Amino acid sequence: MNAIEVNGLRKEFKAYSSRSGLSGAFRDLFTRNYKIVPAVNDINFTVKQGEMVGYIGENGAGKSTTIKMLTGILTPTSGSVIVNGMNPHRERERFVQTIGVVFGQRSQLWWDIAVQESFRLLKKVYKVSDADYNEHMDHVIKTLDLEPLLDKPVRKLSLGQRMRCELAAALIHNPPLLFLDEPTIGLDVLVKLKIREFLKEINEKYNTTILLTTHDLTDIEALCERVVMLDEGNIIYDGALKSLKERWGEGKEISFEFLEKAELNHLETLTGDLDIKWELDERKQIFTAVTGDDEEIVSQVIARTVAAYKVRDVKINEPSTEEIIRNIYDKGMLQHG
Amino acid sequence: MFYISMFFQYVAQYMKTRLEYRADLIVEIFSDLLFQAVNLIFILVVFDHTEFLNGWSRDEIIFIYGFFLVPYALFSSFFNIWDFNERYIVKGELDRILTRPIHSLFQIILERMELESLFGAVTGLAVMFYAGSRLGLEVSWSDPLLFVVFVLGGVLVYAGIFVMIACISFWADARTSIMPMMYNIGNYGRYPVDIYNNVIRFVLTWILPFAFVGVYPAAYFLGRDEWYGYSFLTPVIGLVFFSLSVFIWNEGVKRYRGAGN
Repeated sequence: MNAIEVNGLRKEFKAYSSRSGLSGAFRDLFTRNYKIVPAVNDINFTVKQGEMVGYIGENGAGKSTTIKMLTGILTPTSGSVIVNGMNPHRERERFVQTIGVVFGQRSQLWWDIAVQESFRLLKKVYKVSDADYNEHMDHVIKTLDLEPLLDKPVRKLSLGQRMRCELAAALIHNPPLLFLDEPTIGLDVLVKLKIREFLKEINEKYNTTILLTTHDLTDIEALCERVVMLDEGNIIYDGALKSLKERWGEGKEISFEFLEKAELNHLETLTGDLDIKWELDERKQIFTAVTGDDEEIVSQVIARTVAAYKVRDVKINEPSTEEIIRNIYDKGMLQHG
Repeated sequence: MFYISMFFQYVAQYMKTRLEYRADLIVEIFSDLLFQAVNLIFILVVFDHTEFLNGWSRDEIIFIYGFFLVPYALFSSFFNIWDFNERYIVKGELDRILTRPIHSLFQIILERMELESLFGAVTGLAVMFYAGSRLGLEVSWSDPLLFVVFVLGGVLVYAGIFVMIACISFWADARTSIMPMMYNIGNYGRYPVDIYNNVIRFVLTWILPFAFVGVYPAAYFLGRDEWYGYSFLTPVIGLVFFSLSVFIWNEGVKRYRGAGN
């Protein structure tokens, strides 16, 4: 069963542009210039029940707009969205019973009242029975370590504490689908780890589908097998995170620091028959060989260089996911530009 | 049924929040009472100088004013939507509202209620009893019932108009100054409409029917039978305007653009 089915989804916004100067302002009074900007441009994807999907893109790529259409907040301009077998916007009130939402920058909880009171009110809002609530939430509260926070008003919580409470609040009705928009923004590493662990656990226990947007790619690496990448309203990649690395990861870099003075020319002639490129850093200390993914070439380069010079330090770097993604965006711009 | 139980849940929550700030609560109740007392004295002093106004006696005018205060108090306790644009559209709070399984307008009413305003209803009743006893009005068995119906009608009129104005935010981005203006216009409903010229009277009856919050229903209790037709229209106008406003609201929510993160 598919949790999310999106077909030809499109959302356009009218963007008004104002003319310059006072006379321009007067003209704007009568006829405003606007152009129609597609924030989300005919995208298609499906998410299966129980999948954890990372939804990534730069600011303004259309992530939030998509999430808002999937959660029934915004009406699509065209295309179809079926989430949990329903049309989110048309059957909003019935639909939102089946999803949980965490917006990292917006609180779901009541500012002035104790956390447990917020939970209690949400329990009523979602019509959760006492038995279900106790069984499910006891576990959530224990795992997220919320017990000491329950009787504190939300305004007195730190960001990390609040985020954990937000997450628990989104799960009160144990929804089969969870939307997380920047859930770890501004959190320290320990809280991040706790949240990730918790998400993995509920995914395993309840087969909860999770759609996650974040700027922190370590979140995605830790949680998601699949990523959907968005650029200027278009999906530019949809698939496994691993093959993303294989396809776009541009080989390895081997950096050498030598005890004696080395010459770039000499290094180049040494490895002239291999398909690599040598680079020198600004301080003329570190020589870097950029290679492909071929392990053979990597070991050849090291063997020949070490034989020729005394070496202080050797490092082999693989590009991080972050670098890969930056890379894709630079190229993606060219393709769509 | 669910909505009624949610209503009481939120009221309970509201009380809890209020009790948390005990000092605040006491100060607020005190200042509310003081405000109402000043209001009461002010009404009596102002109307002391008007013996007759276009065929309405001083006590009748005070009675109308008193009646007006009751639906107005109910309206201000539950329809605090004057800052809807800033709070919910610009700050994007509506996002949160829309991810919960309760009608969006109802949630906003619940979130924004301010029960202290109900004190105004007490003042209104006091004013009505004061003026009523001076006029020698008699209370028949049907009066309390009709009073409730007319008050609810008046609340719906007020609510309908203000919800419609709040809906402008769904179509236009800019902040408008219509809200405060409308509060001013609303005040005209508390005086007998036949003191105004015909255009204003028409507007206050059919377009911005604030007259149905004050003078028309109050005329019934004053035994002014030339206005009875209008009096009994009060709940009808209330329902029509409020239904229309909910319809516009629902259309507006579809056009909601959200706020950028």
